[in-house]
Amino acid sequence: MSRPDPIRKSSPDTKKNPLSTEEQLKLREFQDEAIVHINALYNYALHLTLNPHDANDLVQETYLKAYKFFGSFEKGTNCKAWLFKILKNNYINRYRKNAREPGKVDYDLIKDFYHTIKDTRRDSTETETDYFHSLLHEEVYMAMQSLPEEFREVIQLCDIEGFTYEEIANMVESPIGTVRSRLYRGRKLLRVQLEEYAKKFGFNTEKDR
Amino acid sequence: MKCDKARELMSAAVDGELTNRENQAFTLHLQECPACTAEFEEAKKTKQIIQEKIVRFKAPQSLVNSIMELSLSGTKEPSDSPMID
Repeated sequence: MSRPDPIRKSSPDTKKNPLSTEEQLKLREFQDEAIVHINALYNYALHLTLNPHDANDLVQETYLKAYKFFGSFEKGTNCKAWLFKILKNNYINRYRKNAREPGKVDYDLIKDFYHTIKDTRRDSTETETDYFHSLLHEEVYMAMQSLPEEFREVIQLCDIEGFTYEEIANMVESPIGTVRSRLYRGRKLLRVQLEEYAKKFGFNTEKDR
Repeated sequence: MKCDKARELMSAAVDGELTNRENQAFTLHLQECPACTAEFEEAKKTKQIIQEKIVRFKAPQSLVNSIMELSLSGTKEPSDSPMID
């Protein structure tokens, strides 16, 4: 009576189930196309939830779902945009119900948020931008948070994540014209807020370069 | 082009999303309208501020590792998982 060789559990080769060639290919593609965007997704999740723990959960959930439906991802299109849309939908379903009321800003929460995780932040390159240069990260962030969500969202997707209008329109499920006008109005509102901060700290906002 | 049309195109001009025709008409309007020119400069500056001042956070390594694990175990259950209860 022949018996197969006993499988040594400690062997690294048998630690995971061997994947079929097809699965290996899918996994490889998923890593190349999807996992490379993990920093951007986490950053977006963090700005949505203001909570590292929730952001972790949200990103994990997003990748699980993305992997499951990776077959339906249209190759050659923007995978980052596809992932962002999944993340946004997850966020709406799971977290938004408990989210703050629109327009209501919890400044203490934002301050705490920044102080807790500022050690992990990436250095940004700062160039000279007249009086705005004196604004702190926190202040700009608070000004962003004070915007109605529909404006904040498009500004984040456009200016921070660098998506095209077409991609943003698809993500927020609105026509491109709406994205244009939200960006226009959002930036205008933001400018007013930033000037308030600058004035508060004694900078002459009339002076231009 | 009138000012209201220029304002409509303002954000797309800031983001380089205008068509060639729109861009020509927009540029032409700015040449004769100091108010829209000023607004355009402000809008560009606002975008720049956001890009410079909003901090981008990196995913913690523990999260990156767990995503790699998730995708590895996504198609099959692990055969030997001594760590799982």
